[in-house]
Amino acid sequence: MTWNRPLAVVAAVAASAALAVPAAATAKPTITMSGSTSVAPLAALLAKKYISVCKGCVSFKLLQGGSDVGISDVASGRVTIGNASRDPKPSDPGGLVFNKIAHDAVCIVTNKSNPLPGIDEAGVQAIFGGSVRSWSSVPGSSASGTIDTFTRSPASGTQDAFQKIFLGSTKVFSGSSQKASNGLVQQSVKADPNGIGYVSLSFSDGLHTVPYKGVACTERNAKSGQYGGQRNLYMVTRGPAKGAARAWIKWITKRSAAAAIVNTEWVSLQ
Amino acid sequence: MAARGPQTAQQRDRTDQRAEFLLGALASAVLVLIAFMIAFVFAKAWPSFAHNGLDWFGAGGNVDEQLTGIFNSPADPSDYVYTLHAWPLIYGTALITGAAVLLGTLVSLLSAMFIVEFAPGWIRAILQPVVRLLAAVPSVIYGLIGIIVLVPFFGNHVIGPARKESVQYVIQLDGSSILVGTLVLTVMITPIMIAITVDALRSVPRNWTEGAAALGVNRFRALRTVGLRAARPAIVAAAILATARALGEAIMLSMVTGSVAFAPNPLDGVTFFFEPTRTLAAQIVEGAEGLSVKPFGQTMYAFAALLLISSAFLSFGGWLARRSMRKYTLAPR
Repeated sequence: MTWNRPLAVVAAVAASAALAVPAAATAKPTITMSGSTSVAPLAALLAKKYISVCKGCVSFKLLQGGSDVGISDVASGRVTIGNASRDPKPSDPGGLVFNKIAHDAVCIVTNKSNPLPGIDEAGVQAIFGGSVRSWSSVPGSSASGTIDTFTRSPASGTQDAFQKIFLGSTKVFSGSSQKASNGLVQQSVKADPNGIGYVSLSFSDGLHTVPYKGVACTERNAKSGQYGGQRNLYMVTRGPAKGAARAWIKWITKRSAAAAIVNTEWVSLQ
Repeated sequence: MAARGPQTAQQRDRTDQRAEFLLGALASAVLVLIAFMIAFVFAKAWPSFAHNGLDWFGAGGNVDEQLTGIFNSPADPSDYVYTLHAWPLIYGTALITGAAVLLGTLVSLLSAMFIVEFAPGWIRAILQPVVRLLAAVPSVIYGLIGIIVLVPFFGNHVIGPARKESVQYVIQLDGSSILVGTLVLTVMITPIMIAITVDALRSVPRNWTEGAAALGVNRFRALRTVGLRAARPAIVAAAILATARALGEAIMLSMVTGSVAFAPNPLDGVTFFFEPTRTLAAQIVEGAEGLSVKPFGQTMYAFAALLLISSAFLSFGGWLARRSMRKYTLAPR
């Protein structure tokens, strides 16, 4: 039959490809990562550089899903590395090693039309706790009317960091609008002249970042440790990192090429 | 496959038998899968229901604080926190779904009547494919339009500062609201309702409406009293399908309703429409980050279980409604 020939060719090609792929895969280890949406953009940039530096010695697979997804994935062995933007918790599965790879700064942001000159801890707690609800009672504000607060859902790493660093025991105002990602908070504050929210430093484009305790939220201030609103970013492994993952984490924390990438929007450890 | 000669009757029988087995096996596999899914979700959800009892469905306290408490449960399983009063989420879901389906039914009936009876040929030729296209647009696109265009518009231009101040210590009116949620959801579910209603009106035998017209009523009246009545079972089916889609809508509603676990109060007058809320499906999407925390994950499964039960009741209710309408003929599907 006439159409059998191309089919046979396709089958032959598929068969040889199937044979070839496992051979290539064994030669080149794959590092799979999942987890924090705050770590993911950094991990992607680092991975690209690492592949070119080590001449394609590994391949990467990067998934997101949030810090807790990464931690549960790595604990159950679904991925090599779980990315986390929060500190270890007592309820985390046992046997995990949190490898610190960088710092990230959490910035308080307002709309460009309302360049708040500064805010202190009490101010943040009053605004996000809901005891101050009008811009007219916030010193230095050029906006008027009700304050619109934008926060993150309880399960997010940024929310966890914000609660620990800025709020302490103060509870978030129950009427505040909860967003599912950094980008949505950024978009909401950008569109709302009365808005205030908090995002990772890398999501502050197009917004006014409010100096916290007199220190501007910039990479330089975060790196020097002067800026108070910092958190740690981790790559979590099950037991100490081994093999390709160990080389990769070591490269991130020790090499200047990696530090240069980290310092574009985050704060390197070196 | 190779070309064959004419089949004998016996061969045909065997082919039929094989097809019957195969299709039967597939259908049963789907049933088994559904049964497993329901069992799985309920097993996962059980601790949350068991700990709270009927209070789970009640009001009281702040849902977000309760969820934070559940999320930060201690490591020891015997100390897990489960306390939750999910009323604002249930109420928000019912409110937005109900309003959108009511509005959608009205709009879809009128548009279907227009398409079937009144539209000139060329308008019909444009409308029908457009409606079908709209029915297939992914919900996240509606969500994006909602959050980039509608929410800021309502927040900055429609809701005045005085209205915002009047409730500022209770809730914030930033534009993301049940009104925007309902509007966008209505736009989302209406196209499929129009498509189904149009098909149903078309299948009403022509001579029925012509009979009515012969008695002297106008076209609109004939369509309303005869066509719509005969098509009722299909309209119910359309509403059920739309309700199911609305109940399950998560991403878009999470983006435009403000996602505050708040029960809007109708006594607030006009302000009521600008108040935010959060639906069950949106809550599951937003809580997905915390699934690895066991009690938190179980709570999310409890929300899923409630949605499953609602959709089961929904299909059952639809079946009852259509059964009672059987006398209006046009065999129900």
